[in-house]
Amino acid sequence: MSHTGYHPVLDPALAPPFPKAVLPVLRNPQLRKNVAHAIDVIQAKRARLVTEKADWQELRTSGAAIRDHALANLGTYLEQFEDRCTAAGGTVHWAADAAEARRIILSILKQESASEVIKIKTMTSAEIQLNPFLEAAGVKAYETDLAEIILQLGNEEPSHIVVPALHVNRSQVRDIFAQSMGLQNLSDDPKALTAAARSYLRKKFLTVPTAISGANFLVAETGAVAVVESEGNGRMCLTLPRTMITLAGIEKVIPRFQDLEVMLQVLARSATGERMNPYTSIWSGVTPGDGPQHFHVVLLDNGRSSILAKKTERQTLRCIRCAACMNSCPVYRQTGGHAYGSVYPGPIGAILTPQLMQMNHAQSLPYASSLCGACYEVCPVKINIPEVLLELRSQVVNQERRHPTKFFDPMYLGMRAANLAFSQAWLFHAAQFFGRMGLKLFTGRDGWIHHLPSLGGKWTQTRDLRGLPKQPFHTWWAARQKETK
Amino acid sequence: MNVPPASRTDSRTKILEEIRAATRTTANSIELSAAYDSIPRTYQRTGRMGAAERVALMIERLREYDADVVETNESGLAATITLQLKASGRRRFVAPQGLPSDWMSSEFEWNVDRGMSAAEIEMCEGVVTGSTCGIAESGTIVLHHSALEGRRIVSLLPDWHLCVLYASRVVETLPEYFARFQQLPAMATYISGPSATADIEMTRIKGVHGPRFLNVIMVQDIGTE
Repeated sequence: MSHTGYHPVLDPALAPPFPKAVLPVLRNPQLRKNVAHAIDVIQAKRARLVTEKADWQELRTSGAAIRDHALANLGTYLEQFEDRCTAAGGTVHWAADAAEARRIILSILKQESASEVIKIKTMTSAEIQLNPFLEAAGVKAYETDLAEIILQLGNEEPSHIVVPALHVNRSQVRDIFAQSMGLQNLSDDPKALTAAARSYLRKKFLTVPTAISGANFLVAETGAVAVVESEGNGRMCLTLPRTMITLAGIEKVIPRFQDLEVMLQVLARSATGERMNPYTSIWSGVTPGDGPQHFHVVLLDNGRSSILAKKTERQTLRCIRCAACMNSCPVYRQTGGHAYGSVYPGPIGAILTPQLMQMNHAQSLPYASSLCGACYEVCPVKINIPEVLLELRSQVVNQERRHPTKFFDPMYLGMRAANLAFSQAWLFHAAQFFGRMGLKLFTGRDGWIHHLPSLGGKWTQTRDLRGLPKQPFHTWWAARQKETK
Repeated sequence: MNVPPASRTDSRTKILEEIRAATRTTANSIELSAAYDSIPRTYQRTGRMGAAERVALMIERLREYDADVVETNESGLAATITLQLKASGRRRFVAPQGLPSDWMSSEFEWNVDRGMSAAEIEMCEGVVTGSTCGIAESGTIVLHHSALEGRRIVSLLPDWHLCVLYASRVVETLPEYFARFQQLPAMATYISGPSATADIEMTRIKGVHGPRFLNVIMVQDIGTE
């Protein structure tokens, strides 16, 4: 049993649709309070630091342009990255899907005879469900980011991509740590909890010889990987082990080292509301005598190249995983991340997850939005999320209406009838005539419709409908034309 | 021994083919760099401050991060280091291989890193290093891990880090750092304050895994070069 009261499913192929998955959260006031508190704090910090930056909009424009350029020439830049990384002593692997990435990582670990591995927080590894796979194969994975330790020890699922345990509060963290670290007298002071995590992991850092990381950026020009973090657990994993494996989505590449001057500025401010995150590590391949002497990069496609092919959707791949969109989203603020049924929640998850699933799963997610546009406004690489949401909604509808079971669905019947009515003026006028007669029966004396039967009731359940005026516009217009003649 | 990339032929070809089909790029290297050069870059690239203001901002930012900052000039540097070491109440220090001998007062125990093991470094209470650059706007210290800055591990494991930063190496903005160092480093670490987390209820806690104490000596060397 989890400490927050329920256990969500974050596999998009198995998760229930959003409106259903959201119910346990909506019934959990403590969880909603935890989420809202965390979101408010980050939002305020971000807003303050973005306001102080006079060239913020120019940075966004450049950030979007750099990412677009990299995506438009992705093949070239990936090959360049591979060349340079290999020349610097790294080994580059290519994984078409999650299963292949898992196999590659396991085979490297087997060659190293590893029974344990330490991990820097990587959402990509959660995407490919790496930990349970390694566990089943006899390799114990230790998460080292504080939030990830909370999740791992508490048997919790991530609900945010930057602060994945934001739904867990201090007393719940205390309980998790007290239980799993055997510290009965632990207080719920975040300082004491952090210290407990530090000593819990210190020995692991010094003894486990293999590590796994994600990547914030891959630099084509130098074959370098960049990892940004706050705690120093990243630096530990990147420096102490003998063997290092970096798992990175193919879209993570940027053309040149200098492009980091834009990406790092927008990432830190958007993600945590800092001018710069405490630690950024950048390294190319292997340096003799310093850090891991075996270095592997696993480039993961897993549906990404199919997103690249689509005009409107390609911008999804610009994402630098800052989470500003979920922090600003009125839906996410109410629901937290678990309802999205994926390790990528919030607005970016609502467009990324169904696309990674090739539109075979998670079709409810493009609807988990009010289309208010707050996500677009804060996005540091200007992803027009509402535009992509609408595009995906149209794909979902197209998929659905062709489905035989939906043929007699009242909504699609109605839509087909409307389609017919709108195609001929006389049909439209006839429909209008009968429609007015019908609606008159339900219009109250105040000119409003308060209750409609059957399907229409879905609308009037929560809102009133204005009654129709005495005559339609075209009748009024025709009469007016006659008069003026 | 390296694991050969077994899937190189199959998946590599498949992924690259799919990407090429999706992007339909045929740009040669000249066209590619022309396209790259046309990326708009109207953000602030050069600083607007004078040297004194820039260094003052760097110090202010470091102090916001709870770093301990003292100022000195080149002639007072060695004595200042000794004072700071004394004030720390620590005795055993790691020194990167290239650390000048006059920075290493004989009052303390020095372990010069000539390939020390992690366990040996872990036994030390502090470390003294130089630095490549300071970025004032964000209070960032840049290490390129030269002989004076040490291997990555020496500025990581000890709990107390004393870092010497020359005022002449402080730039105002991040783009100025990138413009200044065209020679691309094989390794770089950017430090913006001591290790920290806000993972529990967004409460900022100092000192998770990296050094809990960051001390900076700002050497006022502008105009004396």
